[in-house]
Amino acid sequence: MSGVKIPALLIGLVLYSIAIASDDAPQQVRQDLMKDVRQAAKPVGNMLREKEAFNAETMMSSLMVFAKVADQYGAQFPEGSESGFETEAAPAIWEDREGFDMALMEFAEATKIAIESGPQTLEDARTTVSPIFKTCKGCHDNYRIED
Amino acid sequence: MKRAGLLLLLAGVIAGWWMLRPTSWSESDLPTHTPDAIAGEKIFWAGGCASCHATPVNGRRARDADRLLLGGGMELDTPFGVFRMPNISPHVSDGIGDWSELDFVNAMQFGVSPSGLHYYPAFPYASYARMRTEEVMDLFAYIMQLEPVASERPDHALVFPWNLRSGIGLWKRLYLDPAPVIVLSTEDSVLQHGQALVEGAGHCGECHTPRNSLGGIDKSRWLVGAPNLEGRGGVPDITPVAEGFGDWSESDIVYYLETGFTPDFDAVGGSMVAVQENMAMLDAADREAIARYLKALPANQPAE
Repeated sequence: MSGVKIPALLIGLVLYSIAIASDDAPQQVRQDLMKDVRQAAKPVGNMLREKEAFNAETMMSSLMVFAKVADQYGAQFPEGSESGFETEAAPAIWEDREGFDMALMEFAEATKIAIESGPQTLEDARTTVSPIFKTCKGCHDNYRIED
Repeated sequence: MKRAGLLLLLAGVIAGWWMLRPTSWSESDLPTHTPDAIAGEKIFWAGGCASCHATPVNGRRARDADRLLLGGGMELDTPFGVFRMPNISPHVSDGIGDWSELDFVNAMQFGVSPSGLHYYPAFPYASYARMRTEEVMDLFAYIMQLEPVASERPDHALVFPWNLRSGIGLWKRLYLDPAPVIVLSTEDSVLQHGQALVEGAGHCGECHTPRNSLGGIDKSRWLVGAPNLEGRGGVPDITPVAEGFGDWSESDIVYYLETGFTPDFDAVGGSMVAVQENMAMLDAADREAIARYLKALPANQPAE
């Protein structure tokens, strides 16, 4: 009985990891995460730009998306994921990992401060949320290929 | 017969020398102007001087106040070779501390060094040539009151034939032209101000316009985007077409220059980060003028 089970388990495991590899290549995962950030940033930016009325709930849910991405993003750049999937990740990420991690940390820290402050008005958001936006280019200046 | 041949050769050498010799101004050519360092600060940001000449900090681009330490040292890796940015701080031996106002004008608008050498057009004097000389004098006054920075003075490492400086004389005959790129048929002073910023000090065309094999700007495809000379990727089209700023309003462009965000809230990246941060130091009216000019560009140019 157990002689049958183990190979079946192994085959299942192999199939499962193949599925993971094709669905969840780090290049794909990080592109999806960045898409989440852009989508979450749009209402926030439009509020700051006064193109949309301030909404504390929308603001907070966007901030939570930033926090989720800041938490997961750094792990999506393992060795071997330098190319493929039309990645725009620049070689500098692997050449200067410390600088990349630091830039990402600035994004995470700014987001944490904004969430803790719980912005209730546009003025609050200008004080605590605007600084998050300033951290975006911290990564994009050196670590993304422009196209 | 032999003598005629020699004379012809001599004439050729003289004509060659004349073609390739650096052209510059003498003291009496300078306009009468009392330099204004405060006006010069705006020119400094519009001109993006710090983006190339500020000394990198821990191997990374200088930010904030470090942008005022103009010790050079940054490298520009291009198909022509590696350009190493010189020190333009007012340090007497390592920078430009011993330069006269005339030296500075000749460098900025004629691409000629105080000792009479051609500068490589990686230094965007072909754009700065379109500035008003009074603005260049204001800029000099501003730079001269910044902090002197000591540094090494490494040479460029260019590949043949680009390592021959005299060839730049020919390049200048072909491509150094202080005339406006676009002829505006309007009295709109905002548009004219935008044109001066984009075509002159802002030197946007140096990256956003394609170049030919000699490194000359293709003015028939002004600002339609170009390959990135510094590596992979491209520099976008910023003319009012679908692939460029067609869908952007003037206020979108202004917002981008101020904050670094596109209408879809993608963030500015690459070399444009430093440019955008310079543009953010200008007055709102300057950014509005730039936006109006870009939206007024011809939309029927052949694309990249």
